[in-house]
Amino acid sequence: MGSVPYSGRPGIDDVPVKIVIAGPFGVGKTTMVGALSEIPPLNTEEVLTEAGALVDDLSGVSEKTTTTTAIDFGRLTLPGVVLYLFGAPGQTRYRLLWQDLVRGALGVLVLADTRRIADSYDVMDLVETAGLRYAVAVNDFPDSPDHPGDVLRKVLDLDPATPLVRVDARDPASARGALIALVEHIEEMLP
Amino acid sequence: MTPARRPRRVVPHFMAAAGLAADHVGVQRTTLVHVAAEVVADGLDPPASHLVNLLERGPLAAYECAAHLHLPYCVVRLLVADLVAAGTLLTRDPPAAEMPRRELLELVLSGLRAL
Ligand SMILES: Nc1nc2c(ncn2[C@@H]2O[C@H](COP(=O)(O)OP(=O)(O)O)[C@@H](O)[C@H]2O)c(=O)[nH]1
Ligand SMILES: [Mg+2]
Repeated sequence: MGSVPYSGRPGIDDVPVKIVIAGPFGVGKTTMVGALSEIPPLNTEEVLTEAGALVDDLSGVSEKTTTTTAIDFGRLTLPGVVLYLFGAPGQTRYRLLWQDLVRGALGVLVLADTRRIADSYDVMDLVETAGLRYAVAVNDFPDSPDHPGDVLRKVLDLDPATPLVRVDARDPASARGALIALVEHIEEMLP
Repeated sequence: MTPARRPRRVVPHFMAAAGLAADHVGVQRTTLVHVAAEVVADGLDPPASHLVNLLERGPLAAYECAAHLHLPYCVVRLLVADLVAAGTLLTRDPPAAEMPRRELLELVLSGLRAL
């Protein structure tokens, strides 16, 4: 499952780094978090009110007024840092959750499926609104049409600097390659 | 790969009744949570006792605690804050801001490339 045998606890002085892996349902978020994580992937429930506000006071919260969504969670300890991977759905109705979830994130890996590219527009909108750096990883499924990169860039309306990579979310090395492309991009964009 | 998900309560009634409030709660999703020295789970009620047991092997991020406890993050965040106020738990806030951005990115890159 995980790519690394380590399954202990993070060190108290490891710097926590949050990376969000986002995309529409079925695009491979859970798979990718699992491929990268050193622990079996977990999921944590987020509670929102029906109006989409985050719940931060438990009194007055009843099941009628709330909706929940599960976020994939994984961990990858590297020397000196611990990466926390959050696999998040990208519907715009979760905008407030998004704003809170991505606070302090290093960047976002947006997953896209060439069979339904437009499904990733919502998440790109959320990421851009949040002002986050991102890279797009196109997940190859067996029946995916093989669009050339420049066509995909045009369809996704990507900035020329934004990385567009292909990934097999099931393969730890491929998933790590996509993360590396994201982090290299973030570094290049530093002032 | 996806584990079967069992149905969960939204916010347990006993926790809603406890009226934990969110004012000035510093706990974030990646806040590292650990047990204060000499604290034992005996005498604590669940889910606090579960949390202390979980953390006996070492610190975990608040978000990871929530997954293990099968409780929503908003609940665990307040539970942690409550137990910190009681002296049972300690937290380590994300120190990322202390490190220059480029240094942090280099650390992440070299770590990923070495795997
Ligand atoms: N061929 C192929 N299948 C994948 C890939 N990523 C995910 N899948 C499969 O696609 C399905 C949906 O993936 P999942 O991770 O659950 O998507 P999520 O809804 O975004 O979490 C699963 O059956 C995965 O095994 C990939 O890169 N290539
Ligand atoms: Mg999933």
